[in-house]
Amino acid sequence: MKSKQYSVKVYETTITDESKFMDFFDSNYTLFKDHLIVIQGTMSKTIENYLVNKKLKYLNDVVLPKGRTRKALEDELNFEKVDIAVSQQITQNELERLSTQLQNNLTVMDEMIRSGRELNIQGDLLLLNRVNSGATIKTTGNLIITKVVEGSIRCYGNFMMLTASPKANIVFHNVEVDNNLLEERLNRVEFTNNEIIITPVLKKEINWA
Amino acid sequence: MGIVIAVISGKGGVGKTTATANLGLGIAMNGKKCVLVDFDIGQRNLDMILGLENRVVYDMVQVMEGEANIKQAAIKSKANENLHFLAASQTKDKSVLDSAKVEKLVADLKESYDFVILDAPAGIESGYEHTIEFADAAIVVVNPEVSSIRDADRAIGILDSKSAKVKNGEEVAKYLIINRIVADMVESGEMLKSEDILEILNIKLLGKVPEDKGVIDASNQGKPVILDKKSIAGQAYSRIAGRLCGQKVDMKDIEVADTGVFKKLAGMFK
Repeated sequence: MKSKQYSVKVYETTITDESKFMDFFDSNYTLFKDHLIVIQGTMSKTIENYLVNKKLKYLNDVVLPKGRTRKALEDELNFEKVDIAVSQQITQNELERLSTQLQNNLTVMDEMIRSGRELNIQGDLLLLNRVNSGATIKTTGNLIITKVVEGSIRCYGNFMMLTASPKANIVFHNVEVDNNLLEERLNRVEFTNNEIIITPVLKKEINWA
Repeated sequence: MGIVIAVISGKGGVGKTTATANLGLGIAMNGKKCVLVDFDIGQRNLDMILGLENRVVYDMVQVMEGEANIKQAAIKSKANENLHFLAASQTKDKSVLDSAKVEKLVADLKESYDFVILDAPAGIESGYEHTIEFADAAIVVVNPEVSSIRDADRAIGILDSKSAKVKNGEEVAKYLIINRIVADMVESGEMLKSEDILEILNIKLLGKVPEDKGVIDASNQGKPVILDKKSIAGQAYSRIAGRLCGQKVDMKDIEVADTGVFKKLAGMFK
């Protein structure tokens, strides 16, 4: 038996709007002229004639021998893409989203908050260091802490961002937040429809420095 | 002109006074003139640990009040003539301290000694604040347990806000001694690792001292453990004293359980 093996490029589609379909092929003809066109579902005579005229090879309603379904492949691709792009994209979205919620007077601190210290911040606070056991931080605005918290936090802003802090005592608008819900990296804690929602923000650690 | 070092801990019972006595003796053994001042007024202990309780004639409060001068009040150690000691008053309380008098005392001592080591009282009240107020550096003594760490953290916080040096815009050097380390417990995870402690306190490590039963007996006898060449705690204090005197002494890892010949043999038959 003589045989040959080819890899063919397949363009698979279902037709809902015939004129749109033809327009699409008119404009993308060069791109698809060497593809095998697979029309899933019903195919009218008009389309068949159109494809024949264009000298496009086509198949109708066939199950292609694929290792994985197109959907699975797409999902996987998307998943990878998301995984790679997620930190960047999400950070950007996050910042854009949050920038609208930021208050005016932002305090930025990079010092260790030791036991016994009590910070009362009017406005937002960005803290780039630890909060040790026995220290307390209160903010009227939003609160972002990039290192571990072992003390108490009282935040009355629109949101908080915290890393996993199993020993912390976290109170957001007089509601105690269960620190088991905080995951390894940064988490966003906010009110949505009167519920506290905790969302892990980053899969990868961001380098604030 | 000497350097003034306050030995602090926040929590009581972690080994401040023991560390003070041993480091003072260690420094004296390195040939430097050293004076130890007990600032725990009303509850003095350092005299006993140094074995000098029956030699106290004048105490540091009397020196501050002008009733005696430093030469009269300073007691020479039996173990080393470079080491002198100023006792706390046992009858008064810490309200007798005031900033101006403490400043003068410290300045006078600095004139005649290379090292002035102040043994702070436990806690963070006025007695503690006066101890740290005019110190150039602080040695923080902790035990590897959470309560000691938190109290030390608080004490460091107060040091960083109340010290005269900090008020002048300078920084007080802070060094950590981790005392009473039990290697087996660190290895099994029951005791805090020194890396964890350093991460919380964020100050320089001066040395680690292992748990040593000999320390209690040494204190009771009034002979600091550093005099016992075989004691592991004594050796640790010698290393720390060497570092304080500017020698380069490598940090010995005492957090790994001893794998001596006998333990190795025992391991072979497992």
